[in-house]
Amino acid sequence: MKEMQKNNGKEYWRSLDQIADTPEFRSFLEREFPENASEMTNPVTRRNFLGLMGASIAFAGLVSCRKPVQKIVPYVKAPEDMIPGIPKYYASTATLGSHAYGVLVESHGGRPTKIEGNEKHPSSLGKTNAFLQAEVLNVYDPDRAKSVSNEGTDAQWSDFVAFWKEKHSQFTESRGEGLAVISGEFSSPTLHRLYETFKSVFPKASWVIDEPVSYKNVYQGLETATGKRVRAKHHFDKAKVVLSIDNDFLGLEQESITGNKGFAKGRKVETEKDEMNRLYIVESSFSVTGSMSDHRKRLSQNQIERFVRQIASALGVLTNASENVVDPAWVNALVKDLKKNPGKSIVVAGHRQTAATHSIVFAINESLSNNGNTVTYHSDPYLVHDGDSIADVIKNASKLDTVIVLGSNPVYNSTAGQNFGEAYKKIKNRITLSLYKDETAALSTWHIHQAHFLESWGDAVAVDGTISTIQPLIQPLYNGKTNTEVLNLITSAEDKDCHDILNETWQDILKTKTLAKNWRRILHDGVHAENKSLITVKADGQAINNLVKSSDISATSLSKDNLEIVFYPSAKTYDGRYVNNGWLQEAPDPVTKISWDNAALISPKTAEELGVKTRDLVFINVGGKELEIVAHVLPGQADYVISLEVGMGRKDYGRIADGAGFNVNTLKPSDSFSVTGARITPTGRTYVLANTQDHSSMENRPLIREATLEEYKKDPEFAPNMVKHPPLKSLWEEYPYTEGYQWGMAIDLNTCSGCNACVIACQSENNVPIVGKEQVEKGREMHWMRMDRYFSGDLDNPEMVYQPVACQHCENAPCEQVCPVQATLHDKEGLNVMTYNRCVGTRYCSNNCPYKVRRFNFFNYTKDYPETIKMVQNPDVTVRFRGVMEKCTYCTQRIQAAKIGAKNEGRTLVDGEVVTACQQACPADAIVFGNINDPESKVTKVKQQNRNYAMLGELNVKPRTTYLAKLRNPNPEIVKQTETVS
Amino acid sequence: MAQIFKKSANLWPLYAVIAVTLLGIGVVGFFWYFGSPQYLDVGYRPQQPVDYSHKLHAGDLGIDCRYCHTTVEVSAKANVPPTETCMNCHTLIGTDRPTLELVRESWATGNSIEWVRIHDLPDYSFFNHSAHITAGIGCESCHGNVAAMVKVEQKEPLSMGWCLTCHRAPEQFIRRRDQITTMNWTPPADQAEFAKKVIIEKNINPPTDCSGCHR
Repeated sequence: MKEMQKNNGKEYWRSLDQIADTPEFRSFLEREFPENASEMTNPVTRRNFLGLMGASIAFAGLVSCRKPVQKIVPYVKAPEDMIPGIPKYYASTATLGSHAYGVLVESHGGRPTKIEGNEKHPSSLGKTNAFLQAEVLNVYDPDRAKSVSNEGTDAQWSDFVAFWKEKHSQFTESRGEGLAVISGEFSSPTLHRLYETFKSVFPKASWVIDEPVSYKNVYQGLETATGKRVRAKHHFDKAKVVLSIDNDFLGLEQESITGNKGFAKGRKVETEKDEMNRLYIVESSFSVTGSMSDHRKRLSQNQIERFVRQIASALGVLTNASENVVDPAWVNALVKDLKKNPGKSIVVAGHRQTAATHSIVFAINESLSNNGNTVTYHSDPYLVHDGDSIADVIKNASKLDTVIVLGSNPVYNSTAGQNFGEAYKKIKNRITLSLYKDETAALSTWHIHQAHFLESWGDAVAVDGTISTIQPLIQPLYNGKTNTEVLNLITSAEDKDCHDILNETWQDILKTKTLAKNWRRILHDGVHAENKSLITVKADGQAINNLVKSSDISATSLSKDNLEIVFYPSAKTYDGRYVNNGWLQEAPDPVTKISWDNAALISPKTAEELGVKTRDLVFINVGGKELEIVAHVLPGQADYVISLEVGMGRKDYGRIADGAGFNVNTLKPSDSFSVTGARITPTGRTYVLANTQDHSSMENRPLIREATLEEYKKDPEFAPNMVKHPPLKSLWEEYPYTEGYQWGMAIDLNTCSGCNACVIACQSENNVPIVGKEQVEKGREMHWMRMDRYFSGDLDNPEMVYQPVACQHCENAPCEQVCPVQATLHDKEGLNVMTYNRCVGTRYCSNNCPYKVRRFNFFNYTKDYPETIKMVQNPDVTVRFRGVMEKCTYCTQRIQAAKIGAKNEGRTLVDGEVVTACQQACPADAIVFGNINDPESKVTKVKQQNRNYAMLGELNVKPRTTYLAKLRNPNPEIVKQTETVS
Repeated sequence: MAQIFKKSANLWPLYAVIAVTLLGIGVVGFFWYFGSPQYLDVGYRPQQPVDYSHKLHAGDLGIDCRYCHTTVEVSAKANVPPTETCMNCHTLIGTDRPTLELVRESWATGNSIEWVRIHDLPDYSFFNHSAHITAGIGCESCHGNVAAMVKVEQKEPLSMGWCLTCHRAPEQFIRRRDQITTMNWTPPADQAEFAKKVIIEKNINPPTDCSGCHR
């Protein structure tokens, strides 16, 4: 085994291939650009290409030398406050199931181009996650459904209105007999009002909730425990000890933004004297939250449930002590730690866990005095998370007259044994409202094209009861309809505009008198600030005990013939809703680093027993169902547990979605996120996975610097001192960079959770193209910001660390020294700038870049953009052509805009005025950017901290981006235990 | 057998070298001159859909540039006015003038007038009007004496080299705030002193780095 990256006694590796050091891996690394990267590939052969080139040169000679004539098309009547060239921002709300995130949307000349968080909204606090960043691309998706269709042919909305008016009188008469609605979970005053009306108009109709990543268990557990319908808000910033029970609160759980923000606060360490929170996690497969943990246990879902009871017994919350799933010494140390911090700890369970588990967790938090302190509970009268059973719809399909699907996709979501599609076809009238012509739409008699939330009026409720508004940024591109419009039509047979429908609700909320006065303020802020719904709740011990007793958790011992399958939401598609979003599809999964696919994740030990390797196609058999999927061996995965990512494997959905990944819903049980009794058999075939984990490898150098809190206290300067080097002297006469603004960045590895928000934010801000699976596999991904992931320690249960890497803006930039045409050089403010128009594409700069952050346009990726996709481009950033190099610019367009703005006002920039896209998105505030020439600026202060180090600083390249070393805060008691064991 | 090549043939290679060199110089020179913005763009005076005369409006009538180009002081873009701006006056003046037919039609139908762009920078250059106005650069410096043009034409090459002449030595071009829209401006006697003072006062340091204009 080749020597791995070693520092502080830790070895880091990026993939199992690297550990094994296979010849293929060597050759992959040693080729500067991956194989075939510079050769012409299909479908245009080299000869063809030359032929075409010849022709285009000939034509070029014939056309005139003048630039093509451009037209200026001014307004006829200019809207007030519309200044061409200056973007406007509007507050709106994005929803994900029952959750709401306040956003601020940037609009250039009437088209939304970028989404940021709304500082006033409690669930986003000015920050975003990768999904929110990518939403803006969905608006312009050319694959969206563009018209109403009836029996597969285009129709008009008015046709549907006429159709429904007839149906409406029929159903009013029968009081809804034979009528069913299927929707996702929601919490919205307007939707709730219409839902109530629906129930009263059609009392015999059924309403089914179909939400693949359902929070039903969470809400039900809380309802049992408290006797009230409440939602929990977690204040991670107040917690010193966090125990996460399969809860990916930094990644894919719905509270991820506030989770990251709060957790990062407890992890901000400025000096060695500071305190730091501690995170324990038990989970089945590695999550980004797992990567931040100080102690992590790999447990199967079955074990996790029993582990919760073990903890509860140890805390004295449950009396019926169950068996010890986890080493009691470990549990005792954890319990001691929790008890030491009453009111300052937090126990959270993930949405996969049962209602019983959630009610136990409530009781645990109560016993630790956390309720009311680190966890608050809020009533939400607008929440709808449970309804009639979908199984009844399937059973009675032939008796149903009409089913209406509101924004959900039950045919695709149909789980093992359900086969909703077959039953659905038996229903006479099948009406679907959705953004895409999805699987359900394909089987429907009526399909109504939905309006994106950036085209709609509406409202939604956050976990703490704050109501926020959804306002449109643009007229519906294809005249789509919102779910409120459709639902209003269904209940009242009146065709009303969503704005009027919203208005009716708010007349109730605000009372008509104050509506006019407050409405504009609420729209401007995006939130109705006065609405607070904090309530005090108490545990109902009897109810919890009953629920716990009734939920059966007999232990199953897993083996290679009895595997457990766990289904988890996808970082690319969530539950499948973002499947046609190219930005998300191409962004490598935070943990597996797989792009454009999903895979069956298997632990190294299990894989060895089964004889399965990464990229092998395997059959998974469970409950009489079979699925063929590619395997991916992932260190840190629980043994005998296979993790499957939902939401992929589509056909006839859209040009991005089709052919990407595998549909795993066929194995998923309908009422749970895991199933046991699975078997895996290799097919003997392999599958190509575009995995970026080996791309741009950095050859065993101490790039990540990490220590425990204790080590840091002993040696506060460990990070800068980790590399010993002779005094650094430059061959060149160095430019002083002492005047004016000098831009620099600091990234805190201790708070970065690797959530990918910055990667997508950068892509959105800087017009970074997507290149497709084939190109990613060749190492040609274009992301300016990449999220490096390293493992360290034990092969089966390693630690994981992330490092976001973009251009480091070296003062002595190696790329500049080798550019033959001066296409990349420095400006006076220390930016390493790239002049696209000078670049001739030698790629020498990328060869010479020690950080491997330069990206080359092998093809003219932007040439064939559909018209609508062109609308999402940031007009302040050049769209690059084939054959030029590009890379992070520190968002130079934002720097220039801020500088010009300040100068116009006759002042200098204040600290914090220039915010890079990655910094703005980062929910953990791990990225700080500013003027390092200003001793008072935040970035200067951060760079003065003793954890600050320059990656590869020993090369004397003087990078402007520096990192703050990562710390872990293990429980000394547990450390001692492991030491005595080993 | 007589020699095929005469003695003078020895000089052919020399002639060839000279011819090729000359041709090379000629080709480079041809494109250098005929491909330059100075040759191609200066003097570009397209036919506009409406025969709008800047000479009449800005020159003879003395309407300020900013009456129509309202955003020039605050935004990167100096807007072309909406039809509404024309109609502010032309609902009262020249209401039946045939040359204004298109303007009235636009006002009535709500369809924009499609003007032809004259000053067109490449897409990778990001010019900001407001920054230049703040610094005290006159409209005329880039657009020429528009108030004397019946039909607007491009007066300056707007090439990078041309931009840099001012960015490297702004002191010759900086004007007093109230002189920015003045046409036929000549530097006052105290220009050198004035410019020196303003450059310090306003901290004017026009960027000569790539990032100043290219993003």
